Amino acid sequence: MNPGSLILRDAELLLRAEGQHATGSERLPWRSLLAWIACAGFLYGAAMGSSGSQAQQSLYSGLKVPLMLAISSALTLPNFFVVNTLLGLRDDFAEACRGLMSMQATMALALLSMAPLVLFGYACGIDYQFAKVLNGLMFLLASVCGQITLYRHYRVLIERDPRHRVGMFAWLALYTLIAIQMAWVLRPFIGNPDLPVSFFRADAFQGTAYENLFQILIDSLSFD
Amino acid sequence: MSESPSQRSIVGTIDHLLRGGYTRPEDLAGGRVGIPTGTLLIVCLVMGAFYGAMMGLYGTTTDHSEMVFASAVKVPLLFLLTLFVTLPSLYVFSALARSHLRGADTLRLLLVAVAVNMVVLASFGPVTAFFTFSTNSYLFIKLLNVLFFGIAGIIGLGFLRRALVPVMGKPPIVEKAVVERTPVEMPALDVPYDPALAAEPVVAPQPSPTNLIRTTRPPANDPAKGVFRAWIVIYGIVGAQMGWILRPFIGAPSRDFQWFRARESNFLGDVLNSLRDLVF
Repeated sequence: MNPGSLILRDAELLLRAEGQHATGSERLPWRSLLAWIACAGFLYGAAMGSSGSQAQQSLYSGLKVPLMLAISSALTLPNFFVVNTLLGLRDDFAEACRGLMSMQATMALALLSMAPLVLFGYACGIDYQFAKVLNGLMFLLASVCGQITLYRHYRVLIERDPRHRVGMFAWLALYTLIAIQMAWVLRPFIGNPDLPVSFFRADAFQGTAYENLFQILIDSLSFD
Repeated sequence: MSESPSQRSIVGTIDHLLRGGYTRPEDLAGGRVGIPTGTLLIVCLVMGAFYGAMMGLYGTTTDHSEMVFASAVKVPLLFLLTLFVTLPSLYVFSALARSHLRGADTLRLLLVAVAVNMVVLASFGPVTAFFTFSTNSYLFIKLLNVLFFGIAGIIGLGFLRRALVPVMGKPPIVEKAVVERTPVEMPALDVPYDPALAAEPVVAPQPSPTNLIRTTRPPANDPAKGVFRAWIVIYGIVGAQMGWILRPFIGAPSRDFQWFRARESNFLGDVLNSLRDLVF
């Protein structure tokens, strides 16, 4: 088989949770999963950062998407380990981790498949505000895709021990909390056309995504 | 029925296509779409070019005869570009939903839906031509075309939706629950063989009532179909907007002939404006 069809074949196995990506198998296909997170994430990021046709922004955004996925998951791991141990689920920890990693890889792959939509949107000349909404929607859809894979892997575990459900939802809550803030710290992803290209925004480590969202909400409600 | 697709004339192929001969549920459940990609492409190109030419006829009434040729090229292009932009996400969503189609068959099924769309559109061609020569209202012709594209699109997507029922198959979890409760009836079930199911490790059936409740809950498979519905919405929006950036198709009488217009406004805004102008 040529490399192209091998890559497609692995993508299909990942999405269907079959073959080396099958739920309940012993082995963790970490090479394939990491490669998907890195490559698919990079390509989507590059597409996302291409709205201003600046190569530098594309490169930065390309690096940031895999970073966001990887760091967010890495930060949740200690807590995930402790929670699983407390629930008495240590024996299944490796399998649970495979679920989490497969979710990240599925998200990256789903994002990549939606890159043409984003590029098409840019080609239609959408403005910066709409570009943010469009990319937000793509991330939302990709996270739904990721969760489908997560549930698929966890179904086997939950059938074995219902306490896995607690472990999964606890992880998902923590992951969402971190991923949103991580996306805030790693801004800009698209690149505001009025600001110079930069890896981080000047205020990257000030404030939080949550305060900012709250402020937007307050501003939109005030009538003066 | 033993005729192979290559032996059929284009009319025979279209007839077979519309009767659902290429999308029989038993074939789709087995993961097959029995028509070559090339044949489908030819059907799409010919039908699209025909309707495009009918659309461009309006240009002949306003000294923009080039419009006939331009639209005949642009209508097939519109559908193929939309397909190109939306195919990767369809591929990912359908694999995620564990459809029975793999790889190129997903493309073929989508092309079948596009071909149905094109054939329906082409069947409106004479009507468009009739109105072109019986009215000089540009707005009316424009909205009439939007209506025809809309109807053809809905029929094409309806065809796709019906074809997707056997493709998506029954959710494995339901089958498992049925098997657990009535193992004797298993061979009688009309369930197509699914390699994905066979590959899955068999979970030992536990007859406790709590287990049954848990396994009959509709889990992982339903969100996958929800994502699929989201794809249909995406396809519709991309198609409409693709039509907008490829315009003009009809050619406004007040403007000179041009292949493409500048980027401005969007599809929905223009349709609403035209409706307002036509009515008031």
